[in-house]
Amino acid sequence: MLEALQYATDAVSLGSLYALSALGIGLLFGVLRLINFAHGDFISVGAYGLIVPSANAMAVMYFGALPWPAVIAVIVAVVAFLALLSEAIVFRPLRGASPATMMIGSFALSFIVQNSLLLVYGSRPKAVDLWANLSRPIAVGGVRFQQLQLVTIGVTAVLLAALVLFLRRTRFGLEMRAAAEDFCMARMLGVRANRVIAMAFALSGGLAAVVSLLYVAQSGILSVQMGVPLMLFAFISTVIGGMGSLLGAVLGGFIVGILNVVLQVMLPGELRSFRDAFLFLMVIFILLLRPSGLVPVAAMKERI
Amino acid sequence: MLTQLKHYLSLLGLIVLVLLVGVLTSSVHDSQFDQSVVEFLIRMVVVIGIYLFVGNSGITSFGHIGFMAIGAYASAWQTCCPSLKPMTMPGLPDFLLRNSVPFVPSVVMSGLLAAAVALVVGMFMMRLSGIAASTATFAFLIIVNVVYSNWREVTGGTSSIVGIPIEVDVWTAVVWVVIALIGAHAFENSRYGLSLRASRDDEVAAKAAGVNVVAQRLVAFVGSAFIVGIGGALYSHFLGVLTTDTFYLDLTFITLAMLVIGGVGSLAGATVGVLTISILIDILRRLEAGVSVGGTMVSLPSGLEEILLGVAMLLILVYRPKGLFGGRTTLT
Amino acid sequence: MLLSIDNIVVHYGRLAAVRGISLEVQPGEIVCIVGPNGAGKSTTLLTVGGALSPSSGTIRFEGRTIAGAEPEEIARLGLAIVPEGRHIFATLTVNENLRIGAGMRRDRHQFAQDFERVLSYFPRLAERLRFPAGRLSGGEQQMLAIGRALLTKPRLIAIDEPSLGLAPLVVDQVYEILAELRRRENLTMLIVEQSTRRAVQCADRIYVLRSGRIELAGSSSELTGGQLLERAYFGFTGA
Repeated sequence: MLEALQYATDAVSLGSLYALSALGIGLLFGVLRLINFAHGDFISVGAYGLIVPSANAMAVMYFGALPWPAVIAVIVAVVAFLALLSEAIVFRPLRGASPATMMIGSFALSFIVQNSLLLVYGSRPKAVDLWANLSRPIAVGGVRFQQLQLVTIGVTAVLLAALVLFLRRTRFGLEMRAAAEDFCMARMLGVRANRVIAMAFALSGGLAAVVSLLYVAQSGILSVQMGVPLMLFAFISTVIGGMGSLLGAVLGGFIVGILNVVLQVMLPGELRSFRDAFLFLMVIFILLLRPSGLVPVAAMKERI
Repeated sequence: MLTQLKHYLSLLGLIVLVLLVGVLTSSVHDSQFDQSVVEFLIRMVVVIGIYLFVGNSGITSFGHIGFMAIGAYASAWQTCCPSLKPMTMPGLPDFLLRNSVPFVPSVVMSGLLAAAVALVVGMFMMRLSGIAASTATFAFLIIVNVVYSNWREVTGGTSSIVGIPIEVDVWTAVVWVVIALIGAHAFENSRYGLSLRASRDDEVAAKAAGVNVVAQRLVAFVGSAFIVGIGGALYSHFLGVLTTDTFYLDLTFITLAMLVIGGVGSLAGATVGVLTISILIDILRRLEAGVSVGGTMVSLPSGLEEILLGVAMLLILVYRPKGLFGGRTTLT
Repeated sequence: MLLSIDNIVVHYGRLAAVRGISLEVQPGEIVCIVGPNGAGKSTTLLTVGGALSPSSGTIRFEGRTIAGAEPEEIARLGLAIVPEGRHIFATLTVNENLRIGAGMRRDRHQFAQDFERVLSYFPRLAERLRFPAGRLSGGEQQMLAIGRALLTKPRLIAIDEPSLGLAPLVVDQVYEILAELRRRENLTMLIVEQSTRRAVQCADRIYVLRSGRIELAGSSSELTGGQLLERAYFGFTGA
């Protein structure tokens, strides 16, 4: 029973991380129909922003040494800035191009960011100690949980609520929802394309920053490709959940997280290293059953 | 009639181009140049294979490098290191452990294995369209990578397989490129290719006209896997060494980029794309190694090469979003 | 002159959908563009609205060149487009749909008044403010699209096929409202219409489009009665 509760927490905590990552990708897809393969690298940049730039194997904390509200504020600002920069330099010139072109564009951006990190920080993974006190267990009602997992779940819940409020109650949110449904019509009603797109990128960057902090606190390691698995899972999550739907992205993220833990627990020892293969096999099955995703979005369906 | 002629002329033009590359390389007796050219030619085979599927079906496939991996390892199983094999790859079936297959049959067999895998997975995946299909191919790439990286007994896992006989020189590669070109050309001008392209442009209309879209896609998928598998086999017999992490995201990105940058709509576009990016990569490599300019050595700091490559690709995309070859479908 | 279109050519890829069209709209007028399918009517309207860019020619609104300008800038200049098929935001409520245009207006108090006034024109919308717009009937969606455009405080409103897909009775209602709008708001209108009968009834002047060119132009009184209109519409030339 206790074990089941622990596994459930693992699943929800991992799912939260994937849900936040998927939201970052889903936001940009909803507004721009862009799949940003560089999202994982935004996450990596957020993590590397914590340390002093150097190629040493021993990482020295820079911004990471500040009190935690400041760390969050700084890293969110850094990644949001990177996202806005990417929008201005890479994606705005490509606006209106075919989906394939935009996708290769985001791949190229990812390539550039990864190799830039490589240039500055070197290829050796670095150990980082961020908010180590969160790794200590905490007892809630007789059950021991890892604090960081509870924090992850809590942060995700708060961010989701904030996002929903933002989308439903603010002017910006209204414009983003209209743009996501029919960008051209929204513009003909005065909605400024550049503003909405910038907002989407800034939000996406902010979400990436939060994911990077939670992830680094959990894993304690920085590596140039650390964001790539997160981006892959995020992408898969958005597709399973239903591209164009933020609810779908969140749902997809949780499903992938839960499947991940379920497989980890249920696979026999020798097959454990193949866990990801099984996971992606299940993804293919889910797609065969529901190709448009679990939360189909009417605007995305083909109109005959 | 005239368009048919144009297509054949275009194919001829591409073949002549490739032959010229072979002649050029033979006359320049530079082994480093040789290596670059062979690498370029092998990439051509792979990208032609990817084009056969992506260009005709309209579905972006992230999974084809998985077929390249299958082909590469399959060829290694057949021709590699007979003395080392029982130790490095003990999980292989007996007939492979005890026998070696000559180069050319091994390449063909490797292609066939990739094609067989494509047939099996394609029967499911080709029912999907658009993003769902692309995502499924992505999942396939990851599955192949995870399986091959962990199946130590058969692939050496994350350590390299060494001792593969080096059989691919420039003219061998040229021959295979020409074969791939002819194959892709034949497909896209066959009724399969034509009806597949009809379904690419309007799936609903094609289905309404009685086109069996899933079957057409499957044919293209299997054919493309065959060619890409051959590319993988050629690659392993060029490098002599294999590791699983070669066949993952970076290679997927580069090959897709070559296709999109060249122009995803035509064989000529694919060719131009591979040529352009390969030239770029070569120039940057030489710059990084150091080039003497008027007596002094100028070289790029290491790591900058890739960044400049990425920047160059972005610039091409921004200025030619439809690809270098744009909407044109023939060389003429 | 409120709107002047001067010899524009608009391409879709290599196909020229509009091949040299010139027309003008004076303040306070109702001008109709009629023509068969594929004549280039919607293309013209979309180009005026900024969704498309002409390959050549100019479009001027209140003296300013707007050809190739961004749609959101054109909206801010006082030109509202209601495109074919309504394009209401189905997942947003009626209220939210109406308020989209508010972003570009500074005058909150005036907007509130305009909002009430628009609801008075379209009482059915007032009843359904909290509904997701996708659940409205075709006629209600058309009213929503018009009301939404009105709230951007345009000086010219261009409507593409207000009668599309609607029952004749509903179309009557829509045109009644348009006539009332013209009376009360002194709104200038450019309407694309498939039905020549409706066009002749409501418009001051009519342009007949065919295959991307203007076949005929004149006041509606000039064009009714004779067979000029039908001839131009169907492409009969000569005797």
